[in-house]
Amino acid sequence: MSERDTSRPVPFARAVRAMFDLTLEGMVWSRRSVLMAFLLGLPIVFAIVYRTVLAAHLPPRVTPFDFYGGIVVFYYLRFVVPLAALFYATALVADEVDGKTLTYLLTRPVRRESILAGKFAAYVATTLSLSLPAVVVTFFVLMTARGRAGLGGAVPDLLRDLGVLALALLAYGALFTLMGVLLKRPVIPGLLFLFIWEFMANLPGYLPRFTLTAYLRSLIRHRPAEEGISEIFGQVLPTALCLEVLGGAVLVCLAAAAWIFSTREYVMDQ
Amino acid sequence: MPIYEQTYRRHQARASLRRVRFWPITREALRLILARRLFLVLLFVACIPFLARVIQIYVVTRFPEAGRILPVDGRLFGEFLLQQWLWMLVITIFGGAGLIANDLRTGAILVYLSRPLTRRDYVLGKLGVLMLLNLSVTFVPGLLLYLIALALAPDQFLKWDLAWIGPAIVLQSAVMSLVMSLVGLAVSSLSRSARVAGIGFFAVVAGLEVARGILYAMYRRPETALISVRASLQALATALFGLSERAVSLPWFYPAGLLAVVALGCLLVLRSRVRAVEIVQ
Amino acid sequence: MSATLEFVRASRWYGQVIALNDVTTAIGPGVTGLLGPNGAGKSTFLKLAAGQLAPSQGEVKMLGKPAWGSPEIFHRVGLCPEADAFWEQLTGRQFLVGLLRLTGYDDAECRQRAENALHQVALLDAKDRKIGGYSKGMRQRVKLAQALAHEPEVLLLDEPVSGMDPVNRRRVVELVRRLGREGKTVVVSSHILHEVEAMTRRVLLIHNGRILAEGDVREIRDLMDEHPHTVALRARDTRALARAVVVLPHVISLTFGAEGEWLTVQTAKPDELYGSLAEAAEQAGVTEMYSPDENLESVFRYLVAG
Repeated sequence: MSERDTSRPVPFARAVRAMFDLTLEGMVWSRRSVLMAFLLGLPIVFAIVYRTVLAAHLPPRVTPFDFYGGIVVFYYLRFVVPLAALFYATALVADEVDGKTLTYLLTRPVRRESILAGKFAAYVATTLSLSLPAVVVTFFVLMTARGRAGLGGAVPDLLRDLGVLALALLAYGALFTLMGVLLKRPVIPGLLFLFIWEFMANLPGYLPRFTLTAYLRSLIRHRPAEEGISEIFGQVLPTALCLEVLGGAVLVCLAAAAWIFSTREYVMDQ
Repeated sequence: MPIYEQTYRRHQARASLRRVRFWPITREALRLILARRLFLVLLFVACIPFLARVIQIYVVTRFPEAGRILPVDGRLFGEFLLQQWLWMLVITIFGGAGLIANDLRTGAILVYLSRPLTRRDYVLGKLGVLMLLNLSVTFVPGLLLYLIALALAPDQFLKWDLAWIGPAIVLQSAVMSLVMSLVGLAVSSLSRSARVAGIGFFAVVAGLEVARGILYAMYRRPETALISVRASLQALATALFGLSERAVSLPWFYPAGLLAVVALGCLLVLRSRVRAVEIVQ
Repeated sequence: MSATLEFVRASRWYGQVIALNDVTTAIGPGVTGLLGPNGAGKSTFLKLAAGQLAPSQGEVKMLGKPAWGSPEIFHRVGLCPEADAFWEQLTGRQFLVGLLRLTGYDDAECRQRAENALHQVALLDAKDRKIGGYSKGMRQRVKLAQALAHEPEVLLLDEPVSGMDPVNRRRVVELVRRLGREGKTVVVSSHILHEVEAMTRRVLLIHNGRILAEGDVREIRDLMDEHPHTVALRARDTRALARAVVVLPHVISLTFGAEGEWLTVQTAKPDELYGSLAEAAEQAGVTEMYSPDENLESVFRYLVAG
C-alpha cells in the first residue's frame, strides 16, 4: 500500500505527472495530431521535391539555406506553429468541458492548477515532438541538396531556430491556454489575434512591441531578401528584451489561466 | 405466437419517398445559424466590399477620369469575387465547422438516418447550408453588382462582347462556393469537435496557400498555384475574367481539373465518414 | 449518527432560477436515496456535495470540510456522474489506472485497484477493450468502477443503474447495500423508485429546490395523515368482510373490486386496521392482503402532487 497523506491534495509534481500521462495518450494518438503532423511535415515534402527534381531542372532564385530560412520564418514561425498552439492549447480545458470528462478530473484529490499544468506540459511535449524533428529533417534535406559544404556552418542557425520555435510554442501556447479558459468560443478570436493583431508587427513605431511575433522574429537570424518581403522585417529588438518579454508572457498567461481555472465553476449538464 | 422466427422480411413501405428530402435539413440548420446575431453581423460586414464596388462604379460613371485609377470593366467582377473568398473562409468556419462534427459527437446522425433519408440526402442537406451561405456573399452580390453596372453604365456594359460577364460570375461563384463548402464539410466530418474542424479547415486551406507562397517566391512559376485551393480558385477567376495575375496565370483546365479532384476527394471522405455507426477497433 | 455530508441553509441559484432553496440536512453512514422529479434540484444537490459548485448562500460540508475548494476530500469521496462521458480511446483499465494515479497511488497499486474495481463490476473480461466499443451497460459499470476504485468512505451515485440490464442492476443494488452495511455513506440519486427502494429505506425527497421529506419511507408515509392508506384484501366473502370493517372508526371508505373478489379499504390508521382484522379476516376467508401505497412511489406521488 502506498503512503498517501489523505489530509492534503496529491503533491503538485506527482499530480502534474499523472495528468501529463493521461493527457498525452489522447493527444498524441488523435486525428488532430495526424492533421498537425501533415501540416508540420509539408515542408519536408517540398524539400524532397526540391532536392530530387527541381534542383536539377530549375535554377532556384534562392539558395537552399534561404529556402530553408523562408520556410522557418513564413511557414513555421508565422503560420503553422501558432496554429498548432491554437489547435491544441485552446482545447486543453474546452475539450474536457465539451466532452463532460472534466468531472472526473475535478473529483480527484489534486489542485486544479496541477491539472492545467499537466495538460500544458502534454501540449508542449506533443507539439515539440511533432514540429522540431520536421524542421531538422527539412534542414538536412535542403542543406545537403548541393553537397555538405555549408552544412556545418548552418547548424548553429538550426539550433537557434529550434530554440525560437520552442519558445513560440510556449508563448502562443500559454496565451491560447488562457483564451481557452476565458472564452467559450476561442477559435475565431484566436484566428483574429494571429492573423490581424499579430500583423501589427509589420507596423512602424511602438505598436509591434504589443505582438509576440515582433519578439520572436527578432530572435531569428533569417532575413529572406525577397522584394516585397524585406519590408515585413521592421525593427529588430534586443535579444535580452525578447527573452524577458516572451518568458514573462508565458508566466503571466499561465498564472492567469491557472487562477481562472481554479476558481471557475464548470456546470456540465446532460 | 409470442416468439417470432428470425428470418429476413422485406421492408413494406407504404408511402413513396418525397423527391426533395434534404430541404428540411438545410432549412432548419440555416434557421439555427441565422438566429445567431454575430453571424448576421458577419454577413452584413461581408457586404461592405460590395458597397465599395458599387461606389466605385458610380464614381467612374460620374467621373470617367477616375477610371484610370479605379478601372471598371469585366475584371472588376472577378476581383470582387476573389475578395469575397476571405468571407467565405470565415463563414465556412463559423457556420460550417460543426455541421457534421456536432452530429457525430451527439449521435444526432442516427436520428437523421433513422428517418426516410439516405446518406446522400443528409450530405446534400448539409451542403445546401454552406452553399447558400457562401453564395449569399458571392453569387448574390456578384450578380447584383453586374445588374447595377448594367443600370449605371449601360453604354459600357450592355454589349455583346461583355455578355460573358454574367455566366462567368455564375460559374466562378458556383465553383468557389461548391469547393469551399465541400472542403468544409469533409473536414467537419473528420472530427467530433466543431472547434477542431474549424481550425483544421483553416489550417488546410491557409497552410497550403502559405506553402504555395513560399514555393512561388522561390520558383516564380504559376504551376505552384496547383497545390493550393485558394490559388486554384484564383487561377480559374484569372482565366474566366481575364485578370492579370502572373502568379496564377494558367490555362483554365488545370485549376478546374485540380478543383474537380479536390471535390471528388471530399465526396469520398464524406461517403466514408457519414455513417450511422462507427466501428471502434 | 455523525454527519458525513452536511447542508446548512444552503441555496444555489443560476441567475434568476433558484435550483436549491435553503436546504438543511445531514447525511451519515448508510445508504440514502435522493429522489425528486426532473428539475427538482437533485443534480444541484449532488454537485454541491461533490464540490463542483459553490453554494450561493449557506454551507455545504463534506467530511467536516467545505466541499468547494477542498480537493483533499476526494481521497475519501467517489462520484459516479450521470453523464455518459469518457475518454473513448482509453481501455477500461487505462481509464481506471489514469484516474487512480491522479488519486496519488503508485503504478503497482493503481493496477491492482483497477483490477479489483473492474472485478466488482464484472468488467474484467473487457478491461483491455476501448471504452468507445463498450455497450451502454458496460460504460455505466466502468463509470461506477472509477468511483469505487480508491475505496472511498463516501459515494455519490447519480443514476448508477441507468442503461444496465436486470442482472447488472441487481448486482449494483447488492453492491450498494453491502457498502451501506459496511458503514460507508452512499447517496444514490435515481428516478427508478423501486430500485432505490431495493437499496434503502432512507430517502431524501426534493421538489422545486426544497426538501419535501427525509427519513424512513414508512415513517414518512405514516406521518402523511391527510393521505389515507389503501389496503387491498382478497377474500372468499368480501361482503362479510366489508360489514366487519365498515364499523371501524378509522376506516374512511370501502370499494369492491371486479368480480367481487377484492375489497379495497381506505384508512387513516393502517396499523389499527391490521390489528382489528384478525377475526374478521378468518371468518371471511381472507387469502391475500397488501398495501399498494406502502411504497416509495406513492409517497413520492402524494408529496409531489401536494
